[in-house]
Amino acid sequence: MSHSLHTLTVKQIISRVRQAFPSAPETYIMSLVNDAITEMGEYSMKSQSAKITLAANQMFYDVGDGATDSSSEKMGINKIYRVDIMDNEGDYIQIPRVLDGEPLMFDITSESVLKEPGE
Amino acid sequence: MASNLKYPEDQVLYFIRADQLGLITTYSSTSETRTSRKAYQAIDHAVTNGLLIHYYGSPKRVTAITDTPDVDNLLHSSIVDYVKKCLYMDKAGRSADPGAAQASLALAANHEKRFNNAIKKYGVRKREKTGGTRAVVPANFT
Repeated sequence: MSHSLHTLTVKQIISRVRQAFPSAPETYIMSLVNDAITEMGEYSMKSQSAKITLAANQMFYDVGDGATDSSSEKMGINKIYRVDIMDNEGDYIQIPRVLDGEPLMFDITSESVLKEPGE
Repeated sequence: MASNLKYPEDQVLYFIRADQLGLITTYSSTSETRTSRKAYQAIDHAVTNGLLIHYYGSPKRVTAITDTPDVDNLLHSSIVDYVKKCLYMDKAGRSADPGAAQASLALAANHEKRFNNAIKKYGVRKREKTGGTRAVVPANFT
């Protein structure tokens, strides 16, 4: 059984906005639409998954705004809720999260991953 | 590059530090003897696609007027409120007439309130797909 959902395209949003602002530029409205979507992202629950290739002896992996997965696709992570690691049979197994900080021994391989502010 | 980890759930842990995900393990591919001080270290071998993360992600941005915003359709009409809020604020800033500026600010505040109400209302309500009556299963103490 299929049913159609009521959605709005950007064109329809522009049309509604222009009821009050007939001369508002299209590109500016689109920019504001993206601002709204970004803000809504903090409240929506768009669940996604991504694979990352593990490097030998590297402790830290970037999950910031510009971080990419192993297919070089930007991930756009807001909040991580589960992490799996591939086992020796090629299956992904959930691993637990450490709640209280970091290990005593730090790794030097991650140095290039850590960036100073402004770099 | 395959994984050597037989029981990742017992050997690997992760933690989040700002924009970085840290992975530590007690496992050593070379069966290295470690003291408890240095028990947890980085995974010592590369694994192609070895890490699978599940996360709540940012919606994709729109790039064409034919695009549909990548958020729940309940929130689509609220985008209009957000855009109008910004445009009314712009108008208030441009206006030389204090009365017109005040009216624009009031409309901006009205649209901002509608937008905020919508994302709080539907953002929370639509957070998960679980619905229906909850059944309570008591613990079996026998």
